[in-house]
Amino acid sequence: MNLNSFLLMRHEIVLIAVALIILIAEIFTSEQNKGRIRGLAIILFALNTIIGFFPATTGTLFGGMFTTIPLHIVVKNILNIGTLIVLIQSNAWLKTEENSDKFPEFYVLLISTLVGMFYMISAGDFLMFYLGLELATIPLAALVAYDRFRSQSAEGGIKLILSSAFSSGIMLYGISMIYGMYGSIYFDMLSPAMAMNSLTILAFIFFFAGMAFKISLVPFHLWAADVYEGAPVNITSYLSVISKGAAVFILTVILFKVFPTISDLWQKVVWVIAVMTMTIGNLFAIRQQNLKRFIAFSSISQAGFFLLGVIGGNEMGMTAIVYYMLVYIFSNLGVFGVIAIISNKSGKENMDDYNGLYHTNPMLSLTMMLALFSLAGIPPVAGFFGKFFLFTAAAQKGFYILVLIATINTIISLYYYLLIVKAMFINKSENPIPYFKSDFYTKLGLGICIAGLVIVGFASGIWETISKLAFGM
Amino acid sequence: MEITVNHLMFGLFAAMILVFSVLTVTTRRILRAATFLLLVLVATAGLYFMLNYQFMAGVQLTLYAGGIVVLIIFSILLTSHISQKFEPVGWKKSYFSALASIAGAILCITTILQHKFQATTEAAKEIDMKLIGNSLLSTDRDGYVLPFEVISVLLLAAMIGAIVVAKRKKKD
Amino acid sequence: MSGEFLILFFIVAVVLVGGAIIFSNYAAPTSENAVKHDPYECGIPTKGLTWLQFNVGYYLFAIIFLVFDVEIVFVFPWAVVMKDLGMSAFIEIVIFFFVLVLGLMYAWKKKALVWE
Repeated sequence: MNLNSFLLMRHEIVLIAVALIILIAEIFTSEQNKGRIRGLAIILFALNTIIGFFPATTGTLFGGMFTTIPLHIVVKNILNIGTLIVLIQSNAWLKTEENSDKFPEFYVLLISTLVGMFYMISAGDFLMFYLGLELATIPLAALVAYDRFRSQSAEGGIKLILSSAFSSGIMLYGISMIYGMYGSIYFDMLSPAMAMNSLTILAFIFFFAGMAFKISLVPFHLWAADVYEGAPVNITSYLSVISKGAAVFILTVILFKVFPTISDLWQKVVWVIAVMTMTIGNLFAIRQQNLKRFIAFSSISQAGFFLLGVIGGNEMGMTAIVYYMLVYIFSNLGVFGVIAIISNKSGKENMDDYNGLYHTNPMLSLTMMLALFSLAGIPPVAGFFGKFFLFTAAAQKGFYILVLIATINTIISLYYYLLIVKAMFINKSENPIPYFKSDFYTKLGLGICIAGLVIVGFASGIWETISKLAFGM
Repeated sequence: MEITVNHLMFGLFAAMILVFSVLTVTTRRILRAATFLLLVLVATAGLYFMLNYQFMAGVQLTLYAGGIVVLIIFSILLTSHISQKFEPVGWKKSYFSALASIAGAILCITTILQHKFQATTEAAKEIDMKLIGNSLLSTDRDGYVLPFEVISVLLLAAMIGAIVVAKRKKKD
Repeated sequence: MSGEFLILFFIVAVVLVGGAIIFSNYAAPTSENAVKHDPYECGIPTKGLTWLQFNVGYYLFAIIFLVFDVEIVFVFPWAVVMKDLGMSAFIEIVIFFFVLVLGLMYAWKKKALVWE
């Protein structure tokens, strides 16, 4: 083992370094200079994102405990970009007086959850996987409870930590069964040994239930709405975009890597869960008035769409998931960016408050509209292609009924996404939200989202690059 | 099957764990729940002793019984309604949760009993500190140096998170 | 093999402690009166609840203690094999400590170690 081989872990090491530098800066800067940490954090993270794109070597480390393949690197880069947008968007919020004594911790905690996700993605055994999972969850609970004097925020934090502890317990029970049967926790040992028997099925169900908790798939979604509503808006966006996207990808990787021999079983499970998640997420989303809750349920139903790529179990599905993740990050972060601005400046989060927004804030309304169109999957925007590829992946494998149900759900979701657009552009309001002047970072954050939506939608090269790499799975 | 001392010990500890676990979730006073939890953890340490895994048993006692239960008790004492009794659970709720947990337990137990586990061919090892230390710091297969380092990041993040949530604002 | 010792130990403990309690229950003279049920047998009677809300400082101390308690668990096995493994073990523990010492310094800076 030489030092060179550590370059395989470059993404993780650079990220940990960024977190530690921010922590050191927090420890050693005086009160007056503390404001500079915000700029430092964004610059460091942007550097980290750029470094991520340098050509990287692939392989395994630590006797198979850590593996990295080109597709992992693409996903890590996508997550880096998404987190960078979240950091840029939260800049204005962290500037407020209320957060003056604890904003550096925000960066440290957020980045450490990202480190956890990276280790989960590259995990080669269940121990690293579990450790990454905990690292991705525990600091997140602290972030949900970040507004410590708002009881809703604390409630969200406790709900997240309890439900994730519970789901971790269930998952560990499943993993312990697998270890008991096959005597190993290394993925490369498990996948050939895995045989279809009743205990394996039980172990798989436990494992899947634990993962479904994290992705908030129906029927394990009940924590999501309260946590998303209670958390500060920027944390909600991180939770429902980055965290969820990473978890879906990891679930797919593990299904492919560890459970390929029982794919008949998990295809059935995923089929049922996908239908329930899309439908129930949609039906609940229609009834919501609070926009954060609304987005929470709509993102639950989006997770159901992700499962269309999972069920295919082929390279096409894998490519579609990664591609849709990219699209989903840009569009959902666009929506959250607008919600965050309005919530932070006026404290309004209800759909009625958005009436007549176009007349006072045309730019914000247009951004929101574009992002919502993308989420709904209306053609010229990137979201359409993302959904189209997911549907194709499932249809290739002959899941026509599932694709039909998904299409119906897309139409339902179109209805409620357009409700917001209607509120902003058509509905009249006595006292609309006044005009805001946004600062540089806010504009930058939204600008990246819009640019991403347009570029990803029109540049076919991205799809081909991911597709080429996915064949290495 | 011959009943040995080990079986007896296992039965004793398992019964302790089961009884106190049920008491932990059914008691209506939160501080008593914490005490029952302590007993569950101590009984688990007994299981580790039985397996001749003294290090793990020691960790179980110092960390869980000594650290985590104390933390839990401090957290309980932080709240303002310590002496409050929980509302008794309605019969419908307790009926259905009992049903669900018994059904789950039966499912797991029957499935596990049905499975024909393969006995390991490896000889029993004496687990001493050297063995633990070597595999903890080894970078090869079955070495755990990567989790070891990542745990430090996890501990750091957990500590920062706890302080952020609990600390008051400096100015007031 | 140590199972036998353990169970013997257990039985002796149960017999000795349980026996002492039961024996004293029978052997000791009993007197029943109202004062016996007071929490203290001297001083003024307490008013209201005797529970009180703890300072958040206890919680902070406990969590910092716990973090370093967990750390100790990992340092023990390291200390045993440090001599055999040499430099690589040293580097590994230095990284481990560096990250955790940052946590301690952070707690220090945040005045979590000061009793308010």
